Amino acid sequence: MPPPKTKRFRRRTLRQILGGVRRRARRAAGTVRRVWRRSLQLQVVTSTLVISVTVVVVLGVFLSDQINKSVITGRQDAAAGEAFADRVQIADALNQELDDQAKPASGKNAPADPLDAVMETITGSGDDGSKKRYEVLVLNPASPGRSRASGNVMPANVPEPLQQWLHRQVEKIPNDKPYLHKAYIKFTGESQSRLTLVIGGLVSVDGGATYEVYHFFPFSEEEQMLSNVRLAIVVVGFGLVLLLAAIASLVTRQVVSPVRLARQAAERLASGKLDERLRVRGEDDLARLAASFNEMAGNLALKIHQLEELSQVQRQFVSDVSHELRTPLTTVRMAADLLYDAREDFEPMAARSAELMQAQLERFESMLADLLEISRYDAGAATLDLDSVDVRDVVLRAIGDSEALAERHNTRFELRLPNEPCMAEVDNRRVERILRNLLFNAIEHGEGKDVVVTVGADRDAVAVAVRDHGIGLKPGEETLVFDRFWRADPSRARTIGGTGLGLAISREDATLHGGWLQAWGQPGEGTQFRLTLPRDAGADLKGSPLPLVPPEIEMRRTWRGQMTPVLLPATGDGAGHDED
Amino acid sequence: MTRTSRLGAALVLAAAVACGGAGCAVIPVGGPFPVEEAGGGDLSKPFQRMIAVSPRNDWNAQQVVQGLQAAMAAYADDPEVLPEYLTGEAAKTWQPDGPVTVLGNSPKYEYVGKGDGKEVRIRLTGTPVARIEDDDTYVPISGAQPQRIDFLLLQNEEGAYRVTSMEGGSGLLLTQDDVSRAYRPTSLYYLAGPPGVADPATDRRLVADRVRLRVKPTENFAETIVRRLLQGPSRALSGAVGSVFPQGLSVRSVRSADDRVVVNLSGPIDAGGVFADGLKAQLKWSLNANNVANGRIIEVQLDGEPFFSSEALTIPAILREEWLDNDVRPAYYTSKGAVHSLNDDGAGNAVQGPAGQPGEIYTKLAMAGGGDLIAGKHQKDGGIWVTRVAPDGRWEQWIPGDDLTAPSWHRDGTLWTYDKAAGVVLRCDVTAGRGPERVAAPGLDNLDVTRLRIARDGVRVAVTIGENQVMIGAITSGAGATMLGNFQTLTTVKDEEIRDIAWRDGERLLVLVQSNAVQSVREINIGDGETTQLPTGNKGLKSLTALSDRVLAATQDGGEVLEFKRESQAWTSKVESDADNPLFPLG
Repeated sequence: MPPPKTKRFRRRTLRQILGGVRRRARRAAGTVRRVWRRSLQLQVVTSTLVISVTVVVVLGVFLSDQINKSVITGRQDAAAGEAFADRVQIADALNQELDDQAKPASGKNAPADPLDAVMETITGSGDDGSKKRYEVLVLNPASPGRSRASGNVMPANVPEPLQQWLHRQVEKIPNDKPYLHKAYIKFTGESQSRLTLVIGGLVSVDGGATYEVYHFFPFSEEEQMLSNVRLAIVVVGFGLVLLLAAIASLVTRQVVSPVRLARQAAERLASGKLDERLRVRGEDDLARLAASFNEMAGNLALKIHQLEELSQVQRQFVSDVSHELRTPLTTVRMAADLLYDAREDFEPMAARSAELMQAQLERFESMLADLLEISRYDAGAATLDLDSVDVRDVVLRAIGDSEALAERHNTRFELRLPNEPCMAEVDNRRVERILRNLLFNAIEHGEGKDVVVTVGADRDAVAVAVRDHGIGLKPGEETLVFDRFWRADPSRARTIGGTGLGLAISREDATLHGGWLQAWGQPGEGTQFRLTLPRDAGADLKGSPLPLVPPEIEMRRTWRGQMTPVLLPATGDGAGHDED
Repeated sequence: MTRTSRLGAALVLAAAVACGGAGCAVIPVGGPFPVEEAGGGDLSKPFQRMIAVSPRNDWNAQQVVQGLQAAMAAYADDPEVLPEYLTGEAAKTWQPDGPVTVLGNSPKYEYVGKGDGKEVRIRLTGTPVARIEDDDTYVPISGAQPQRIDFLLLQNEEGAYRVTSMEGGSGLLLTQDDVSRAYRPTSLYYLAGPPGVADPATDRRLVADRVRLRVKPTENFAETIVRRLLQGPSRALSGAVGSVFPQGLSVRSVRSADDRVVVNLSGPIDAGGVFADGLKAQLKWSLNANNVANGRIIEVQLDGEPFFSSEALTIPAILREEWLDNDVRPAYYTSKGAVHSLNDDGAGNAVQGPAGQPGEIYTKLAMAGGGDLIAGKHQKDGGIWVTRVAPDGRWEQWIPGDDLTAPSWHRDGTLWTYDKAAGVVLRCDVTAGRGPERVAAPGLDNLDVTRLRIARDGVRVAVTIGENQVMIGAITSGAGATMLGNFQTLTTVKDEEIRDIAWRDGERLLVLVQSNAVQSVREINIGDGETTQLPTGNKGLKSLTALSDRVLAATQDGGEVLEFKRESQAWTSKVESDADNPLFPLG
């Protein structure tokens, strides 16, 4: 069914896109976070920006509010004053009208309507009147022909709430108060509404009639002015924030630049360039910092030099001692061999002593050999004798060497070798020594159970894992096993007679190849050592073809769906790159 | 100087700069600086309007009629309220068309018959004072009898009264207050001469047309003026004046912009072929005469674009050319039949030629526009004789006749008179080589025309009928031929006698009226009949002449020539003896 397929395809694509976006966003966020963490200048500028924006916003709002209040209040007061004066005039005129009406009508020459007269005065529509900046609406819906307006104001322009409020006030006369209302009003004949202040008040005439008087004051100019002020505040605030940020950036730069130089110098110092020094300019704090730094670097270099010398002396001492011990040892060995060969002629006590001496001499010899090897490493004299070999052959040779020991321990080997050759550029002797060490180790600690040897390879690397099912390692011991003369249980005797340097040498061998030697172990689950070597000696390793944790353990973990105790990386080097 | 004292000095300096520069003065003082001229000025004057309110159910019948009248006053602004006062059927049939009747203020409302019940009749009694015609002409009615208008009201289901019919009146009824509130007397200016032949080369004159325009709340008054100007002249001037604005032209807006007033027109006008000077004059005078856009540049646009495709049409704030003929001209008077000039300080010299010779043969003298010809009526043969004001001039008979009215010069050089015997208007155009010929004047048929005066604008004509009526007409061109038409009564006097008339300018006519004991000089605006009374003093006046602000009169018996002083509102003597018949050229 093609359509669902397409659909699924599309959905997956979308998900992929989303995933890609998320990944990119996460990466970008990571970059930003990293840049943020690393740049003091950025942190200071950002903090300044945040603080100054906050201050400017608060100040701007406060300022704008104050200006608004003072302008609008002033205008409203003026408007209320004008409206009040007009209402007084209207009230006066209308009460006058009542008096006039009380008089006998004077026929044809009746005076013009006082309402008209007062409206003329108020609106400036008389002959000598001038235009007022507001419009007036006098409304008396209860009497015919008693409503007037100036300009284009219509009764419909009065805001509904204001009118309702005034209507409610009618009963309260004379304790009424004028009310104001601000609204956007669209007057007749105008295309858009204007902000207008409407003041509504009541004028009551002695005769009982009540006039609603509305004043319409245009607020467009004030609105325009305030919006200009607000714009100015925003622009100035923005400028101020930018200025502050620039200042902060400049100041920080002045401080941070020397600090950055100091950091770079420290880094170079840390990377071993002990003659790195800062330039001292002036007498300020930063100059003093530079001077102190230089002094510190000088002292440090001196100390390191002394320590190096001391270490050199020690190493030389060990090497010399080892060499010096070999000559008498050879003599002692020859004598011991004679004694050992003739042991059957001795008394049982003497024969046993000869055997013991022989065994301990062998151990002594191998220990001396290991010490010499280690001192070669310490002296940096170890070199690789590279050769392209099939690692499977090396493994098989190492197993062949270990078979006698395995038999003694009733241990069987289980080999898991790939079918293809696993070619790598390695020092045959050293790798074989590593594997032998690992196998001996596995046999010794395997408690007679099977030892699994797995070989794996990928494009860049080959790996060999040696797994035993012995008592395993306690947490934290994965790194300790590579220490010189380290012993899991000091009370436990060495059955094979290891020197305590085997794994340390193996580790050095692996490192010399640019490879990793890592250990995994869990109490009761056994131990696994994994040797990973680049196919080209010295190339950087990105990962290992074999997992460090045995697959069955990993699977069991997944099945249980529970977290295992945190596994510490097996070693410092390479652990971080382990992508398993 | 130590470091601390240096720091202190810097701080003091900074504080001084901050205080002096900004802190102390909120508004900085100083100057003088050039100022941008604010383009203020409104295109309309403030005005107030009647607001119509809806009828209330608790109103009595009289209040409903009063409310209806108020709604009529507000009808043009808010036509939706008025029908609420009428019953459903009446609302369907009622028409607001036709002339607006203007009643005197405070009309009376009274019940005719019962004051309550289902059907009530309210009588409105008021004195009609004027009529506003469809063409916005304001026609005053003087001395009319009070008009009675009966309103029949019916009570509806809710018990509220609504008007069902109006008897004795039609259209809108407004009071004088309503009119003065909502209407503005407005002068519009058109080109002199019959429409369609406006020739830029000949007569660059404007004629005022006085109308009452309703102030519209939705547009400025300048726009109202221009809109009305585009509609063409009122009936009094139809066929007599022309306009550069063709039919169908409309105004989009008139607005203030910086230093100018922008008139935006729209419609079919040939921008290239238009008589631009006429357009400028018409617009400028029509706006400025009504106190709109005074002293401001007027820019005319067509559909929002410059009027001429290449450049804008602007009318300068001050137009040098005088389009209204109100120039200062010398005054003359006759002394013992000889025409003398009238100087500022009194009597002047006699004019050259036979007119300056003493003799009582020619009376009712009139001087042509150029001051080079004087016409007079021959005492004996009754004909009109004319002489040039020159040493070699001599009297020649231009129009023979026994019973002619005083001659009147037209500004184009023709001489007009009315032959009372034949009942015809005569015109003599000597420059064109034509003798006296009849001019049709259908409006004057069978009327006793006693005076005929042609205004200085060359269009308006004033005639007196008998001794108690003044009519105003215009020289029109009907069917290609010149004729006098559009006659309307300007004023009628009762128990009084009209002694003389004189044109002051194109809009105002002076009428000398004599009642039994009292004389009065009335200045009547021929457009809307607005009358101003001039004081007469105790010397009886015989004849009048006027030119713009100067008014001269001859006394009845003293042989004096008086001049009216506007400042003191009194007549002062210019020539104290042997003076008669003061005259200005034309008029």
